[in-house]
Amino acid sequence: MTGVAEDSTPEASAGDRSASDGNASKAELDRAFEELYRTHLRDVYSYAYYRVGNHHDAEDLTEQAFLQAYRHFERARRESRGRPLRPWLIRIAHNLASNYHRDRARRPEAALDAVEPPSHPHATERVVQGREDLRVVIDRLDDLPDDRREALIMRFALGMSNREIARALGRTGGATKVLIHRAIKQLEEMIAEDGGDE
Amino acid sequence: MSEATSDGRDLERLLTDALRPIEPPEDLSSRVESTLSSIAAQAAAELSQWADELSESELQALRDPRNWVRPVAAIAAGGAAAAGAAVVVGLRRRRKPSGLRAAAEQLLDEIRP
Repeated sequence: MTGVAEDSTPEASAGDRSASDGNASKAELDRAFEELYRTHLRDVYSYAYYRVGNHHDAEDLTEQAFLQAYRHFERARRESRGRPLRPWLIRIAHNLASNYHRDRARRPEAALDAVEPPSHPHATERVVQGREDLRVVIDRLDDLPDDRREALIMRFALGMSNREIARALGRTGGATKVLIHRAIKQLEEMIAEDGGDE
Repeated sequence: MSEATSDGRDLERLLTDALRPIEPPEDLSSRVESTLSSIAAQAAAELSQWADELSESELQALRDPRNWVRPVAAIAAGGAAAAGAAVVVGLRRRRKPSGLRAAAEQLLDEIRP
């Protein structure tokens, strides 16, 4: 696996660090939360966007995720024992996104339909082909089972390590490694089938 | 589809390109910060209102740590709804209110000698 190494858990920022004495003042907690928020806003937003497929709902979901995180921040910090809090934040966003799809009785698979691959202002033929390749990848991602697709979003959109993804999805490291491996293999097979059909 | 995805590593490269991080809108940051601030402000206002209604002797009694449990519980019961009202500002989906911890901590800060 290229991407992110198994043990490359990022250094915990001040926002991620747990209070060593367990008696962090309110001001200290607020400062730490602010740092956590600033550090991971893009991660939470990216994850939300790839789960719901539009900016409007992604904004709402991101806001809800941070409000929920704020309520439970002190306890999460205490229980994290110094481990990074990004998986915890993404897990909150993950649960909210699941609720979003459940409440609207929408299949989560529909979300990526609306995601447009990155465009290029001066597209050459090669760039256009590349863009089509990206479109195919995004379309086929939609056809993956939920857990496989979500793991790939965490890995490739957020650059999370296997360990972080495992914590976000509530799985073991080994199970997560297998999950990602199977997701990529399945995606590869689906794309190969598409090629064979043409 | 080009030949690019015939190799797993190329597929990972395509995935990296397809799933680029998305920059949040500029106003989202201030929107969330504003909502978080309003929670704190609402909790403080609620507590202040509650404290204004107390007589001097009641405030004196509150400084005795033996009396701390009851008012904190009272704040918990009565303040949660008002504090939580701010939580839902700007949110499409209503959520259960909170702000209890903020209210309790604020109370303890004010009554500590």
